[in-house]
Amino acid sequence: MTESALERTARALDLVPYLLEHQGISIAELASVFGVTEKQINQDLVLIHMCGLPGYTPLELIDMYYEDGYVTVSDPQSFNRPRKMGRSEMTSILVSLDLLKTMRSDDIRHEIESLQKKLLSSLQFENPFVVVQEHEASPYLHELEMAIAKSSALRIVYLSGNKDERTDRTIFPLEIYRANQATYLSAWCNTSNGDRTFRLDRIIECEVIQKAEISQSKDRGNIFTELQGALLLVDKSSRNFIDDNRSIIDNIEDIVGSEQLLVKLNPVDEDWLVRSILGFGGGISVKEPIELISKVHSRAKAIRKVYE
Amino acid sequence: MADNKTERLINLTLALLATKRYLTKSEILENVAGYKGTQEAKERMFERDKDDLRSLGIEIEVGDLDVFFEDEPGYRIPQKSYELVVPELTGRELALISIASNFWNDSILAPSAQSGIRKLQSLGIPAVVDFDFRMKYRFENPSQNLEVLSTAINQRSKVTFSYDSTTLKVRHLEPYRVLFWNGFWYLIGRDLDRKEIRIFKLSRFVSAIQISKKKDEFEIPDNFQATDYLPKSDVAILHRAKINIRKDSALILRNRGVFLEQDGEYETFELTYENELSFLRELIWYESNIMIVEPVSLKDALITLMGGVTK
Repeated sequence: MTESALERTARALDLVPYLLEHQGISIAELASVFGVTEKQINQDLVLIHMCGLPGYTPLELIDMYYEDGYVTVSDPQSFNRPRKMGRSEMTSILVSLDLLKTMRSDDIRHEIESLQKKLLSSLQFENPFVVVQEHEASPYLHELEMAIAKSSALRIVYLSGNKDERTDRTIFPLEIYRANQATYLSAWCNTSNGDRTFRLDRIIECEVIQKAEISQSKDRGNIFTELQGALLLVDKSSRNFIDDNRSIIDNIEDIVGSEQLLVKLNPVDEDWLVRSILGFGGGISVKEPIELISKVHSRAKAIRKVYE
Repeated sequence: MADNKTERLINLTLALLATKRYLTKSEILENVAGYKGTQEAKERMFERDKDDLRSLGIEIEVGDLDVFFEDEPGYRIPQKSYELVVPELTGRELALISIASNFWNDSILAPSAQSGIRKLQSLGIPAVVDFDFRMKYRFENPSQNLEVLSTAINQRSKVTFSYDSTTLKVRHLEPYRVLFWNGFWYLIGRDLDRKEIRIFKLSRFVSAIQISKKKDEFEIPDNFQATDYLPKSDVAILHRAKINIRKDSALILRNRGVFLEQDGEYETFELTYENELSFLRELIWYESNIMIVEPVSLKDALITLMGGVTK
């Protein structure tokens, strides 16, 4: 990919003040900070080194040393302060602060709010983005983060939605992430001897344990029945199903002349799929496999029967 | 080739920044390194360079010189307009911004967030490592349109796009705000055909967004509140339900409900919910292990929903 002279200029203008505050930084780190190759950074530095003020004697050039892969600037000429931020830079920073705010507890929220006010006050800027997210932070967030940082183990009590049971597990947390409507923890589960994903709001107890206490794992095997290549007809009015479950969609075909989409799925948990289809009350119907149709129907009938 | 141009642009920026007085065009063409060729070629080059620098957000001030050069305008970049001015940020605040900026990962806003943070890191604020946040944001529905919409809103230009819906396909809009909610991006604005404020999900845009060439085409009403336009059913009004739950089942429901009484083979719990449909979908999970007691409307909605499936 060739870069325009303008993009390169922008980077060079930002490099000098950055170097000034990070004297002796390595080329490798510089490359990672600026998201380009080391070769590119080297070329940028050679170029910047030749720039300066009219006269262009050594005294008027930007003065820097780069030796053994480390860079030091001794005279930045007029580039001693960073350039002002553009609108998209401000926007992304403010929106990311908004997101961070929705994921942390109250103290940090207040801190972020006052930081945002501070930024906005000096930058005279209208933020076109609004982040709305009602989210209750898990009381165990801190424990989970500590466990990730220290690679330590936790004992949790988890309410499993799939099997409707309460399980006691020993886990090694790996990553916490928020996606769509919920916050998840992916972890190595010692109890089921595999990687598992947990919803934070379904962890009802959590405590730190010493590694020594971890008992031999007993393999409980795969807990769900995987269904391959299901084919669904999804009414366009029910296409939230697609939006909410992007990761399981293999292919979508528009059926010409109808208000339906033909959706092919990746392998999914059959039980989950049946329940999800029920939740759309006819907006989604099964095309294949045929056995799934009767499973969906009998499940719907069973639910109605409760009220007969 | 590209090298030459980059070098010239940097030299021009430096010269215009360093000068206290205005520099005339001929001073620039003569003294700033990189201007070559005939007078005409040099002048054309300079005009382009000015435009380029302005497109980077650099303000080039044009002013009259003193009496000796009456007919020649002068140029300079005022240091004040060039530099990033932010209030004193603490190391802790900078750390918060850095952490937040990392959310974008591979999203379209990532490069901007990163270059923004680099600028803040060039202010000489001492770095602190106060936080050990590990929580990430995963954008499952990335959108390509955020930059365009941000520009359109900012300059108050109308937008046109094709929207995947059963009725009107092509929409003309005065864009007001972009909303991020429950993992999805939305655009809120005045729909010019329907003549009312409406909300659109960005993941359902099926064409590129066209921005009108004009600016300041509309005003955003003073009393406009983006959050007023969230789909109605999802406005947080808590409803109460009484649900009968069979012994040892529906553990997640039990966990968030309040136990009321024993009712034969069931135990009755009180639960609150905001959105009827989402709640029904949760209840379906437990099949015949639960029974809706109240409200009747919720029960009827479940029966209708299940009726739809078997129809």
